[in-house]
Amino acid sequence: MLKKVIIVQNKLGLHARPCSLLVKAAGKFRSEFQIRKEKMEVNGKSILGVMMLAAEYGSELELVFDGVDEEEAMETIVNLIESCFGEE
Amino acid sequence: MVKLTVKQLFEMNKSRFVLSMVSNPNTFDKLITNQNINRPQLALSGYYHRFPYDRIQLLGETEIIYLNSLPDELMYNRLREIMMNNIPCFIVSKGLSVPNQMEFIANELNIAIMTSRLSTEKLFWQLTKFLREYFCQSVTMHSTFVEVHGVGILLTGKSGVGKSESALELIEKGHTLISDDVTLIKSNDETLIGMRSNLGDCIIEVRGVGFIDVAKMFGIQAVRKENKVDLQVELVHWQENKDFERLGLKDEKTAILGIKIPIISIPVSPGKNVSVIIEVIAMNQILKSYGIDASLSMQQRLAEEIQKNTELRNKK
Repeated sequence: MLKKVIIVQNKLGLHARPCSLLVKAAGKFRSEFQIRKEKMEVNGKSILGVMMLAAEYGSELELVFDGVDEEEAMETIVNLIESCFGEE
Repeated sequence: MVKLTVKQLFEMNKSRFVLSMVSNPNTFDKLITNQNINRPQLALSGYYHRFPYDRIQLLGETEIIYLNSLPDELMYNRLREIMMNNIPCFIVSKGLSVPNQMEFIANELNIAIMTSRLSTEKLFWQLTKFLREYFCQSVTMHSTFVEVHGVGILLTGKSGVGKSESALELIEKGHTLISDDVTLIKSNDETLIGMRSNLGDCIIEVRGVGFIDVAKMFGIQAVRKENKVDLQVELVHWQENKDFERLGLKDEKTAILGIKIPIISIPVSPGKNVSVIIEVIAMNQILKSYGIDASLSMQQRLAEEIQKNTELRNKK
């Protein structure tokens, strides 16, 4: 199991488009993927779950990966969030 | 390009427009290439500039009365001037009698004249409708066409993906089949009309079973001759890494005969109930037409929620 804390860096936060990108990217891996924000914990492969976080700019997310390709999955997801989903 | 001769126009509409031939039958061989109709009022009065000679020329009571009011020589010259152009045919409405000179010139210059018992207005609109339908563009598509809750859905996808089986499930649920496997689509101004390519019975081929006569098996309410095409649903074999739309915010369109309709790709895998998804797509389309879009309102609510969280964060 791998854990990583990351801060949402795009100005608009995890609105609809980033959520769908995140879920699509996560869906390509076999590992389990959870996202925690404050008291909430959601499945990172579920679009409704990720949207429920309503993660704003500057908020802290804990990413938890568990499975055969967890390292690869973590790298991809972290890159995606750090690249601000191609936004500002 | 579809072809229409004056003779065909006459034969196809003989009883509907109550037509009868005035000029010699051998003047009826010309090809009609323009689907519009013209009333040659200005040309009859001697103004020939911009005269659309390649259209069917419709003469109503006004034209005939005007012609009859002209001195013989003038009428002859005007008509000759007009008929020297390659006119497809004249149609005279209201069963009015054609001036003798006109008939004479028409036979000489090989131009058809026919009369109709219909009123000018009625003839104009019905003839326009006939010509539009006759000359409309059409295409056949490898697809199954169903009507679900009033929404015309064209099912496409590779052979064996389950188009016919999905249609069968939809028929079972009380929806209607228009065509299986081959659908003829015609464009009618801004809309697409889908129908069976042959006018035979509505037959479905089910793998392992063979042919099924849908109307006989499920009743006549299970089939329909034609319907408006509202959207296309493409059935795609489920692939692990293929992306499918998750939000429903992208409005993908496809063009058939130059008319754009929405297209939705849905993944198909064994055990997945495609017919329910198709019903949902149809109902969602109806909701969207009423301005209710769940995808859009989710997006707005999320944006509001993020905004609230941002304000809370800034206060801390």
